[in-house]
Amino acid sequence: MNLGNVGNILMLVCLLASLIQSTQLLPKKIDIDYKIFSRLPFYSSLLAFILLIYIFVDSNFNYQLVVNNSHSEKPLIYKIAGAWGNHEGSLLLWILVLTIFNFIFSYSKIEHADFKKNVIAFQSLMIFGFTLFLLLTSNPFTPTETIVSEGLGLNPVLQDLLLAIHPPILYVGYVGYSLVLSFAIGGMITNKVDKEWAQWIHPWVLTAWIFLTLGIGLGSFWAYYELGWGGYWFWDPVENASLMPWLAGTALFHCVIILEKKNILQSWTILLSILTFSLSLIGTFLVRSGILNSVHTFASDPARGLFILIFLAIILIISFTLYAFKGPLLDNKSEMNLVSKESSILANNWLLLSTLFVVFLGTLYPLGTDLFLQKSTSVGPNYYILSLLPIIVLLLFFMIIGPNAKWQSDKISSIILSTNKLFILSLAIIFGFSIYFDELHLTQITLLTLCLTLILVSIKDGLRVNHNYTIIKPSLGKSLAHIGFGLLILSVVANATFAQEKIFQAKVSDILILDDQKFRFDSVEQNKGKNYNSIIATFHLMDNKTILETFKPEIRVYSNPPTVTSETSIIRKFLTDIYVVMNIPENSDFVNVRIHIKPLISFIWLSIILMVIGGMSAIVFRIKLKK
Amino acid sequence: MSKKVKKRLITILLSSLVLIIATLLITMNLKDNIIYFYSPTELQGASIDKKNIIRVGGLVKEDSYEYNDKTKIYSFIITDNSNDVDVEFVGIMPNLFAENKGVVVEGLAIDKKKITAIKVLAKHDENYMPPEVIEALKKEGQWQEK
Repeated sequence: MNLGNVGNILMLVCLLASLIQSTQLLPKKIDIDYKIFSRLPFYSSLLAFILLIYIFVDSNFNYQLVVNNSHSEKPLIYKIAGAWGNHEGSLLLWILVLTIFNFIFSYSKIEHADFKKNVIAFQSLMIFGFTLFLLLTSNPFTPTETIVSEGLGLNPVLQDLLLAIHPPILYVGYVGYSLVLSFAIGGMITNKVDKEWAQWIHPWVLTAWIFLTLGIGLGSFWAYYELGWGGYWFWDPVENASLMPWLAGTALFHCVIILEKKNILQSWTILLSILTFSLSLIGTFLVRSGILNSVHTFASDPARGLFILIFLAIILIISFTLYAFKGPLLDNKSEMNLVSKESSILANNWLLLSTLFVVFLGTLYPLGTDLFLQKSTSVGPNYYILSLLPIIVLLLFFMIIGPNAKWQSDKISSIILSTNKLFILSLAIIFGFSIYFDELHLTQITLLTLCLTLILVSIKDGLRVNHNYTIIKPSLGKSLAHIGFGLLILSVVANATFAQEKIFQAKVSDILILDDQKFRFDSVEQNKGKNYNSIIATFHLMDNKTILETFKPEIRVYSNPPTVTSETSIIRKFLTDIYVVMNIPENSDFVNVRIHIKPLISFIWLSIILMVIGGMSAIVFRIKLKK
Repeated sequence: MSKKVKKRLITILLSSLVLIIATLLITMNLKDNIIYFYSPTELQGASIDKKNIIRVGGLVKEDSYEYNDKTKIYSFIITDNSNDVDVEFVGIMPNLFAENKGVVVEGLAIDKKKITAIKVLAKHDENYMPPEVIEALKKEGQWQEK
């Protein structure tokens, strides 16, 4: 039998099973076994996904998707990754992850049967919608119209191990929030949004957050070494699209904590759940379908973009209609004290949402001018930096005092007392640095001091409860994540302040000097890689006559598809990265070399790892505590 | 008015005030940092502030690409086949820069016929045409679908 037909049948099974399951949302319930219909879509979409990988590995050019995105000479790992490195395949992956979450949740031990049924049913409704989208507009199993013997290849910039594993991780993050939305819907339908609900949703919110954090980190790391621009974040729409659900998801997670502890903010938590998944949807698909990048791609395939917009609209209409009826009834009528842990978490909620607003406006503004004024625009990075600066300062401030405040009510004086020593210590350290380097502005001193205070306070927070064995565990995760965030901002600021770069036009045996470091350009040679030809230059970092480090930046010329890429050469040290990238202009007898000296870059990656580990340990200790 | 209502009213008023000021600041900041895109023809009709960064895109004109060894300045002409704009640039040219191919530069306009580029935007794919360039060429009737 034709493999493509098998794939289509599998997706049809997925479609029908999830449709049947989603009828459970209707007031008049047909009695069906949720175990079968919530798990069947998982099995069928898993098989379909394996099938798709198989036709990519097999270089089966009877399928349009393989022709467009693969090539028989491509290394095996990129043939596999090619399966999800395109719109159709990634949509199938998205569906697979949706079903995985539903599958795992169907095994959960939540005893509230009606709630569980509704969550599964709404999740199934989303699976149904996306499968319909796949079958109607983006079928990965579409056969070619003519006989093709060779594929067009995958963009070489995308032929990278990290980029191959990065979308699945990011997707688990995005899609994790779909289950969170299903929880919100289920909770509203069954009037079950309380402490217990918060307990149930907690690990799922955290799981999605961990994967999203990791996904964003990996994407940033990839951009740093592969694109060769020397930066790690460009405020590009694609990057912003992943940052927006992260910001909303972080706010949501903190609200869930308050709800779990104090049984307040029910409707606000629901609202954030809806917002977070909506942003995930906007993020992935508007970028995938090209709407955010340019309106013109939208016009070339209106069906695809339109479907997503309709889908998003349906989800929003369902959620908000429910919310309009149920939302106000959910809230506990208890007043919040102005000076308390919950109020400072809430303040940070607003700051995170302000950050979200800034990013949202900057990302979508060009779309607006393009649609309504027929004018192409883009938004410069300065907009983000200047707008976010005051927000970040406040955010850090509340992160310092929040964890030290007591639930319910506290005194300002006692909070200050518990943090002021570390604040003064940080200020002294940063001030010392400032005098030593002689180039720090007030904003930099403010930011760095607050970051350092946050790190110290969080360390102390993690250590203090060390004596009490049972309490240390859950709060260790929080401490790690907060240290991570402080370290992230600290490294970003330090990097922006002290980074140096210079462009050279160099011929062999030239000596290039940047920041008192001497780089000798020693040789250029040609090389042949697996599916490309390359030119490799050798630079040595010299100390008088001795060679300290060797750099081998490279230019690769691919033929399928015809592309030239510059491969960076990075020497990573504990405190500083040295980053060398080159290219060769047409008809010239010299090479262009750009050397960056980038302090604390490794700490940016470290800080993301800390946040991820923090999240993971919070989950692990939570499970342990339950037992 | 009871004490509770008064307290709430003040909170609402204060927070909306903060919100309005923040939104105003952010949008003003946005306005200052918007980078407009022009085709060479559009640039002729546009009123341009020489302090603001703009983007200009089109095709690199044939036989216009030069490099001055002494001044280290690259120069080339961006055209949409109706109007031309001279570009000067110091820095690293992207790998895929070539005559008769699409290009987008970001920089400061000296006048309507000349721009000092700060960035020549790198493109990943040889056949890639920046959508803005396609649109600009279409407007001038110079675009042929392949």
